[in-house]
Amino acid sequence: MIATIAFGLLIVSLIIQIVYLFKKAGGQDGVSPWLSLAAGVLLLVEIVRRSIAIRFVALTGMFESLIFLACALAFLIFALRYFKSTKGNRVIPFGATIIALTFLALASSPLAPSEVKPPVPALQSGWLVLHVAFSFIGEVFFAVGFVSAILQLAAKSEEKRQEYDRVTYTSIAVGYPIFTAGALIFGAIWAEKAWGVWWSWDPKETWALITWLTYTAYLHFRLVRKSTSRLVPALVIIGFVIAMFTFFGVNFLLSGLHSYS
Amino acid sequence: MKSSFDKIYDALRSVKLAVVLLVLLALFAIAGGIVPQGRTADFYRLHYPGAGSDIILTLDLDHVFSSALFLLVAAVFALNLTICTFHRLTGEFSKPRGKRRHGPDILHVGLIVLMFGGILTARARTETAINLRRGESADLPDGSKIVLVDMHYEQYPDGRPKSWESTVEIHNGSSPAPAADAQHSARQFRVRVNSPLRLKGYSIYQQNWHNEKQVVLKDATGTSLALEPGARAATKEGFVLFMTLDDAAQANASAPEGPSAAFPQGAIFLLEDKGKRTVVRVFPGQSIGPFTFDGYIDQSVSGLAVVSDRGYPFVAAGFILVILGVFITYIRKLKGMLA
Repeated sequence: MIATIAFGLLIVSLIIQIVYLFKKAGGQDGVSPWLSLAAGVLLLVEIVRRSIAIRFVALTGMFESLIFLACALAFLIFALRYFKSTKGNRVIPFGATIIALTFLALASSPLAPSEVKPPVPALQSGWLVLHVAFSFIGEVFFAVGFVSAILQLAAKSEEKRQEYDRVTYTSIAVGYPIFTAGALIFGAIWAEKAWGVWWSWDPKETWALITWLTYTAYLHFRLVRKSTSRLVPALVIIGFVIAMFTFFGVNFLLSGLHSYS
Repeated sequence: MKSSFDKIYDALRSVKLAVVLLVLLALFAIAGGIVPQGRTADFYRLHYPGAGSDIILTLDLDHVFSSALFLLVAAVFALNLTICTFHRLTGEFSKPRGKRRHGPDILHVGLIVLMFGGILTARARTETAINLRRGESADLPDGSKIVLVDMHYEQYPDGRPKSWESTVEIHNGSSPAPAADAQHSARQFRVRVNSPLRLKGYSIYQQNWHNEKQVVLKDATGTSLALEPGARAATKEGFVLFMTLDDAAQANASAPEGPSAAFPQGAIFLLEDKGKRTVVRVFPGQSIGPFTFDGYIDQSVSGLAVVSDRGYPFVAAGFILVILGVFITYIRKLKGMLA
């Protein structure tokens, strides 16, 4: 119910943003960021409610993961209006809102059962909470980078391309350390504590590594590329597609140690 | 004019080479992420008929992460990273103190330490699985013994496991964990999933738990003896070995309701008598050699793993350095974003 209200708020926010996208006069949309914030707060309340019910941080299933992702992204959408590089930009929050809505739509699908279930022993770990939370916070920055990279590729003027390149780079540069810590390091520490092995080339681990390698390649390639290179933003787009495959595709197509998540 | 050495050095430390290697490693990982790893050749022929299985087997895609090509690329990447780190470090130290940026250096050194630790782990890590019933013991790598004192298993109402933990005693040879650890008293320790017992040089993990059906045999004096599958009881002329429950008994054993001792089904035994071996199915109440088959009991078995990993401190140090380095490198971007 709470997630449905949050979904409704984001839909209203999206409609307002569409109206402002087609407005030629450059006024600032003052309502939609607050609707995103309200949606984020509601989703946080849902996470807290579920956490109390299972007596553990509610981050142990697909539904809860999607709610957390949408929640973090909703907060980031609100924050975008205060960031130097995204202030006044209407398209990036719009794209990010669509992604947040997609997460919530998936959360309401049969792919993500919403029943409240306490975690099995392997999931009862503080390292798991850090692993999942940091990975997803990193990924919401990647989501903003993804939107910005698409705009960078679509930009017609060099000035716009450079503007979006700055947003893309900043988003990835902020998300990358958080994702590195969460997906790779905290994940490996949790695996060592649970199973006695840091790394087992489980499909989820392998795809998380592929995501990390793609963003690492982006950060290095950007150092040596020509400013007109289309491959640089393309790497960010590929990186986000891989990150989403790691989250959804691996769960449904490839089995492994993370099959329960 | 650059010497050949300088040219090779520049090529090996170049960021362009790093990008190419990162992409190659990602491609290998994609192959390893898509193709199931470590299966038999027949598995690939069945699931990837025709050219598919030929390509997989020829290019070693059935074991990508230990294939020569992957290891070669990983080795060149390690070389690239090491030379780049050395070059960058010397460059940074030649700058005035205030202008040095050591974030990438810490990150790169962390990755090198991590790779070293990973190699050590891959080559020297040992894991021994031990299954213990209450009161049973097993030898540990340092010559000490582990005894399973008790085990505890809880389920949620829907049947999923809630917790399983073992209480163990360590005898001789190994120093107990720090006294500040509230999880143990004297030399008794609790081992839970996600809470391994760390001892000097190795760790003990709670890996699984299962219920096992044992057969109970009674001898002529009325003394009972419980045997797990594979265990034997000596007789004057040979032994009686409990092989397994017969199929019907196994089907019944998995039923959640009903006392296990009431199973009327039989069990399969190997009987050796004066050098002659026979396999027999025996039902409760019947004789097997000098014993009477008295029935079944449920026995909990704790699955523990004893892991020794010399790479552990290096991997842990590598992680700390990578986290430090990656945040120092990019934290200023966050400042820039918020400014």
